[in-house]
Amino acid sequence: MEKTRRDFIKIAGGAAIGAGTLLSGCREEEEKVVEKRGEIPKEPVKIAAVSFLTGVAAAPFGIPGNNTFEMLSEKINADGGIMGRKIELLSKDEAGGVDAQVKLARKLILDDKVDVILGYISSADCKAVLPLSDELGDLIVAYDCGTQELMEGSHSPFPVPKYELGFRTAATLGLDNIGLALMIKKYFPDIKRIAGINPDYAWGRDSWSIFEESMKKLMPQVEVVGTWWPPLFTTDYTAHISALIGAAPDIVHTAFWGGDAVTFTKQALGLGLFDKMTVAYSRGEPIPQEIGKDFPENQIIGCAGPHYFLYPPQDKWPLNKQFVDEYQKKYGKYPTYPCYHAYQAIYSYKAAVEKAGSLTGGWPTVDEVADAMTGLAIQTPSGNITIRADHNAIEDGLFGFTKLTSKYPFPILDPERIEVFPTFVVNPPVGIRTVDWINSW
Amino acid sequence: MEWFIYILNGLYYASTIFLISLGLNIILGVMGILNLAHGSLYAIGAFTAAWLITSLAGWNSPDVLSFIILLGGAILAGFVGLLLERTLISPLYNRALEYQLLITFGALLLFEDLIKIVWGGEAYYASKPFDILGKVDLSGNIYPIYFLLVIVIAIVVKLLTWLFLARTRVGIMLRAMSLDIEMATALGLQINRLRTWAFVLGAALAGLAGALVAPTTPVLLGFGMEPLILAFVVVVIGGLGSLKGAFIGSLIVGEIRSFGIVIFPEIELAILYLIAAIILVIKPEGLFGRIKS
Amino acid sequence: MNLKRFIFNKRSLIYLVVLIFLLIIPFILSPFNLILFESAITFAIVGLGFNLLLRYTGLLSFGHGAYFAAGAYAVAMVGRYVPSIYSIEFLIPIAIIASLVLSAIFGFICVRHTKIFFAILTLALSMLLFALLFKFYSVTGGSDGLYIPTPSIFGVTFKRRPEFLSGPYYYFLLVIFIICYMVMKVIVSSPFGKALQAIRDNETRAELIGIRVKRYRFYAFIISGTFAGIGGSLWTFVNGHVTPDVSHWFFSGEIVYMTLLGGFFIFEGPIIGAFVFTFLKLYAMGFTEYWMGIIGVTLILLVLLLPTGLAGGVVTIFNKLKTRKVLGGT
Repeated sequence: MEKTRRDFIKIAGGAAIGAGTLLSGCREEEEKVVEKRGEIPKEPVKIAAVSFLTGVAAAPFGIPGNNTFEMLSEKINADGGIMGRKIELLSKDEAGGVDAQVKLARKLILDDKVDVILGYISSADCKAVLPLSDELGDLIVAYDCGTQELMEGSHSPFPVPKYELGFRTAATLGLDNIGLALMIKKYFPDIKRIAGINPDYAWGRDSWSIFEESMKKLMPQVEVVGTWWPPLFTTDYTAHISALIGAAPDIVHTAFWGGDAVTFTKQALGLGLFDKMTVAYSRGEPIPQEIGKDFPENQIIGCAGPHYFLYPPQDKWPLNKQFVDEYQKKYGKYPTYPCYHAYQAIYSYKAAVEKAGSLTGGWPTVDEVADAMTGLAIQTPSGNITIRADHNAIEDGLFGFTKLTSKYPFPILDPERIEVFPTFVVNPPVGIRTVDWINSW
Repeated sequence: MEWFIYILNGLYYASTIFLISLGLNIILGVMGILNLAHGSLYAIGAFTAAWLITSLAGWNSPDVLSFIILLGGAILAGFVGLLLERTLISPLYNRALEYQLLITFGALLLFEDLIKIVWGGEAYYASKPFDILGKVDLSGNIYPIYFLLVIVIAIVVKLLTWLFLARTRVGIMLRAMSLDIEMATALGLQINRLRTWAFVLGAALAGLAGALVAPTTPVLLGFGMEPLILAFVVVVIGGLGSLKGAFIGSLIVGEIRSFGIVIFPEIELAILYLIAAIILVIKPEGLFGRIKS
Repeated sequence: MNLKRFIFNKRSLIYLVVLIFLLIIPFILSPFNLILFESAITFAIVGLGFNLLLRYTGLLSFGHGAYFAAGAYAVAMVGRYVPSIYSIEFLIPIAIIASLVLSAIFGFICVRHTKIFFAILTLALSMLLFALLFKFYSVTGGSDGLYIPTPSIFGVTFKRRPEFLSGPYYYFLLVIFIICYMVMKVIVSSPFGKALQAIRDNETRAELIGIRVKRYRFYAFIISGTFAGIGGSLWTFVNGHVTPDVSHWFFSGEIVYMTLLGGFFIFEGPIIGAFVFTFLKLYAMGFTEYWMGIIGVTLILLVLLLPTGLAGGVVTIFNKLKTRKVLGGT
């Protein structure tokens, strides 16, 4: 009889261990739990959604993501659920740091027995929590965090997948930072000096290293005049901003997101930073809407993939129009990229369960869902995503410059200067580390 | 000319840290209690100010009002300090040190959630006073006038506190108490009332610091944690219970942070702790430590 | 039957009952609660060491997280840089050395002071370690922390963590805990332990009768820190991840809290405190998002109403009952 991983864990966890088998690992007991084929459980499917619900990253980031999870599970439930099972959504707060998140994830899997965790905005949380997927035998889908290290091995070519049960349904930060370098090469071919200010953890460190590597390849004449590493969720950037002004770069790279991006931008406005240099925000798409018309024009903005409420144009891609309209009606704002990422996560899970279920005829096991999710391609409001063998999705990259129009109360991406880099230009091949791929150009 | 701006940044930072550590040191000097909930009083001041400013935004109020209501933060923090001292701390004056520390730790945990209940988990942006004042051009460098205002306020508060302690009856009694509590008791001073005075003053100063910072930054949960730690560093550098130490210590911390970020961006705040550690090894009672262990 | 004599004669019986209870724990608890129980055991070891300073030496450390972190990061660093010796029998000694060295350095500075000064110095030094762990991203992983792989025990390797935690590791932990318990018991009843208490009660008198006060405090500090380091290293395997947060004063505050919750006047108090705190925190967290407030109120009530902690409270009630019984009996 073939045992599923989950059954094994259950047995291992509850196994009777005599003193004699103390050090020889768990004795396998006779199998007690067998999931019957062809039957779909009556109780709802438990989905944990983990995003920042408190703190500085909540309003511009975690709450839009969580709103989308809520809106879409209601919509899926209204349409009959996933294979007839309604979704029971457990919204959890991502605040409290890495250690708190490891404990929370363990509780969700072992105690609450959720079917899947869709979560994590912070790369640090992703890196800490994803190993739990295989350790505890449950599906964990990273929906937003960006560090490329999450799914990469230590040297190229690396074996895939890194985690049997860990996925990410969005592209890595490789896309954001390679794209920024391409933008700068195209629009600022003559610049000499760049600098970076990035949050001091995986996301900021990795964003800068990819950006720096890409710039070295694309524009070798450019000099790095300084890098700053304030901790995540710093509330006072004035000293950093003055230091940046003193270093006088032409372009500042930043991977600030959520509240950090808002705080930094507001304080930089106060100190006149934007009069002296251009800021390239690797994932800046939500910030103009958060700050409003004070947000400076002509700054470079990345969209964490092709996620923008005006792209693909709503008249050409009805899915985007529908999504934007529903979200806007319900929450009074336009969906930002965390919303699109939430869409990708929940619909990827739904599609994978349905794909696996159609093959086995019943509710699939986590392994079957994981198999079905590998290689999955679905349509989303931003176009298509494909989840590759490395369990990571790839997408196109959308970039642009801010411009104030009369139609919206915040700067939008200037339609004249929008760039979409195709998937293969900004995502490395499967099994190749992003850094190695850049160096092979 | 950038150096000039770095010095100003350092001064601005020192100003807020000074107000917090001054309060912390008054409480420490007079009562011998390290108030771990001091950061929460700072946060209460900030939330109150931010909340008042945002609620005022709906009305058509004169601009100057948004500055005056910043004082609301100091007043509420002082009031919370009064309640805290009367209900929780005063029963413990004759008890061991660990209980006094732990009750303030308990208060810190409780306040964190009370703030969440009262003001919610999202960040407050209340930049109106900051925006109204605008910017000034200091020989090619743009600088917000609000920061200059905060520096001035801190200096005024310093002078007023000195006057209060040197010239008023209560102030002199407070100093007497911090020098020799047994003698003060023998002389018939109302020790308990003075303790309340000291605590309320310290709390109000923390609240004022929070209120002054509120317009420059998002106000959110856990807001008091970092300033509390920096105030500890100031207290350690300047000397436990020393008011002069709070002043000089804040200047050192503010300027080192500002210049540290420019010169050694890689290690940022760690440099502060390193300096604190060096002072601890050389002069464990701090630069101006009056109280000896 | 006389209750007092019962306990006095049957003390070993109590130990036996507790031991049997501890041995069958993995069969009773769900995997999730077992993990909690294991992390409580590691905190109990920390509490034992912490109380050597607080109860027996009269020093309140508000920076014991630093030595906990030293043990925990020693494990993490070996895992990251020398994976070839990533086995528990190497990791524990390395963690002991790391925390011993750190507590010797910090202790050297701190034991010159007592009371509030000692508390603030220990706090400041643990924050220094926090800042270093936080800022040296390339070495320590900064605020991301480091992943702790499942180690092998005496050459036996494990594929999945639950498999490791659900049995073998639990009994390993239990053995270490019992050793720590006995070692500490011996220390506090040794001449050294008596000397510490003499220092606590009256420093001048202790000095006069020839006890080298600072040196003894220093030794106590090192032993205490090393226990925290052992607890920290054992905790990492349960938690699977370590971040600089364990060196933050907030975490040190939780250690103090645990000890007072259990009752530091009693040798076993911190152990009880560690278990109650671990489960209290979890259930408060599961029960409400305002768990911090619950913990805070509990702490305040404890300080105001039950300063001798849970164990102290039980003993008080016990004594009262006993007195009543004795009175009623005669």
